[in-house]
Amino acid sequence: MSLESTLTQPEASQCACDVRSTVKPVFNVREREDAYDLTVLLPGVAKDGVEITAEDDSLVVRGRRSEKTAAGLTPLYRESFDADFELTLTHEKAFDVDKVAAELRDGVLRITLPKTEALKPRKISVS
Amino acid sequence: MRFVRYYQTARQRSPWSGLENEIDRLFQSSLAGFGSSRIPVDLHEDQNNVYVRAELPGVSREAITVEVVDGDLNLSAVRKTPATEGKAEETSATLSRSIQLPVDVQTDAVSAVYENGVLTVTLPKREEAKPRKVNVAVK
Repeated sequence: MSLESTLTQPEASQCACDVRSTVKPVFNVREREDAYDLTVLLPGVAKDGVEITAEDDSLVVRGRRSEKTAAGLTPLYRESFDADFELTLTHEKAFDVDKVAAELRDGVLRITLPKTEALKPRKISVS
Repeated sequence: MRFVRYYQTARQRSPWSGLENEIDRLFQSSLAGFGSSRIPVDLHEDQNNVYVRAELPGVSREAITVEVVDGDLNLSAVRKTPATEGKAEETSATLSRSIQLPVDVQTDAVSAVYENGVLTVTLPKREEAKPRKVNVAVK
């Protein structure tokens, strides 16, 4: 799991206000020249169960599991959780909130976070 | 014999850092992640079937293999990560898992569905393994 210094997770105490328990999904942040690529693994989450909230200082990804455990099934052994996924990342105006793009395929959410103009590398020609 | 890598980081200045690192490493290895190659599974049953639910995000259907061998269910999948600017080559990782089935199943009637990154395998129980109700007349 690699984590860029500009996209950090807040202290755990900040999230304790939420009563419903959530699970932090497995994620990965990769930096490109002009954007950050965030990959979040959300197995069992359909397109309408994803909620992405992008703000100037935070990015919240929520995933609601679409499948319900059918009644009448007896669990014998479990390794997964029924709780929803929630990932909160904080940043300091690292990306352009208006240009965030996301794609969900086979339980993998790929979010492209274009860097703000101020963060993009600039070539300065020497006169 | 297994070799366990010894991590040395700046945090080891604290007297508890060794323990902290060990705990972190334990969690990292037990929670499935990008680096983990073990498929997490759930096992459910009802009267007629055994259901195995495996979390396999980011795998194409063709890359999934489901086998029932001798009372064991073998799952394997290849996850391909496309080439990006940072990594020039396409990388692939093989994930696998083998679980012992709790009851005898009809191996020829096993079916599997892959949706939203979750593989659900339905294994019908053999007639002998189903719970049977026997009425005993009390005289």
